[in-house]
Amino acid sequence: MNPANLTLDFLVNDAVVYSLPLLHDRLNQAINHPRSSITDIIRIISEDAGLSSRILRLANSPMFGFHSDIDSIGKAVTIIGTRQLHDLAMAVSVMGVFKDIPEGVISMTSFWQHSITCGIIARILATYRRESNVERFFVTGMLHDIGQLILCVKVPGLVREMIVASRDSGIAYFAVQRSVLGFDHGAVGGELLKRWKIPAIITEPVGCHHAPGRAELYPMETSLIHVADVIAHTMQVGFVGEPFVPPMDQRSWERLSIPISLLATIMDRADAQLGEVMAILSGDAPS
Amino acid sequence: MAILSIDTISEGMVLMSDVRDRSGRLLLECGTEINAKHLRMFRTWGITEADIVTVDGHADGPASAAADPELLRDAENALRPLFCNANLSYPAMGELFRLCLLRKVRNESR
Repeated sequence: MNPANLTLDFLVNDAVVYSLPLLHDRLNQAINHPRSSITDIIRIISEDAGLSSRILRLANSPMFGFHSDIDSIGKAVTIIGTRQLHDLAMAVSVMGVFKDIPEGVISMTSFWQHSITCGIIARILATYRRESNVERFFVTGMLHDIGQLILCVKVPGLVREMIVASRDSGIAYFAVQRSVLGFDHGAVGGELLKRWKIPAIITEPVGCHHAPGRAELYPMETSLIHVADVIAHTMQVGFVGEPFVPPMDQRSWERLSIPISLLATIMDRADAQLGEVMAILSGDAPS
Repeated sequence: MAILSIDTISEGMVLMSDVRDRSGRLLLECGTEINAKHLRMFRTWGITEADIVTVDGHADGPASAAADPELLRDAENALRPLFCNANLSYPAMGELFRLCLLRKVRNESR
């Protein structure tokens, strides 16, 4: 098939089979329903034993750094918040959705290493900006390269060619994708998440993470994910296909108003959290 | 002058300009000599960097000065290709490159 004829539609259409578990719909309904209570939310999450045990382990990991033990979902809801817990649940289960993808061009472990690194950095940046829901940034970071995964499944040969072309020419991988396909992996991911009915506050940053200037609705969120991705590449953890550190959009960095001197601390903190979060998320497959 | 990160500022250094918190409130005036109490105060108020008076322009950050220059050069040569697309002249990107360099040197000398 001629790569120029590949459309977003074609790529994403069957990929809809990978969908987020029913749980999220139920959780969403419960959160948005005016008469639902915290008890309802606790019950829904607790029904999935694998999910709740992972959430608890995350809540007790260095990522949160709480002083007291969080030993029940009830406690987690009160301390972390319902919206936040919903987004955390999404981050915890998304790896399970893609667990059956055959290892091909890129290994799943290194794909998730980069994705989780980006998620952790996004979460740290959001914490410094005093954002109210930092877990949403965590899940967005984890999902930012999901389009690359779809490309690997649908057109593995082409992905391999594009990676080689990027490496040989010194042109950034996402730029090679744009010239070959007419769009980059960000756009594929954004489109997939839209079909999953994920809100635009997550889909737009994913879709525009290599073109943050194009974000119309959520420029700050998009800038943050863009910067987190560049930092994650600098840390050289994992591999998703991009052989080089992508350039940083200056406007995006300035929009975050984070002092440059904080970058060293951000990396150190990400380093300290990475190992444990990776172990928790990639542990035994969810039931 | 040099903007130094809180971790590299030590007692006895002198402020080149005022230190203000997020809302612009003055915390410490220009010309003050930093002491331990000031450093604690910076951390309490979330100050992460300050403009410090430097002697003979030597304020590249002690981290890069501590590393073996030969190791540093090798690491730089090894990393250049990785950063061939990155806009290193932009301050934030330049700092990321510097940190990446230090990480590499640290990992290799371990």
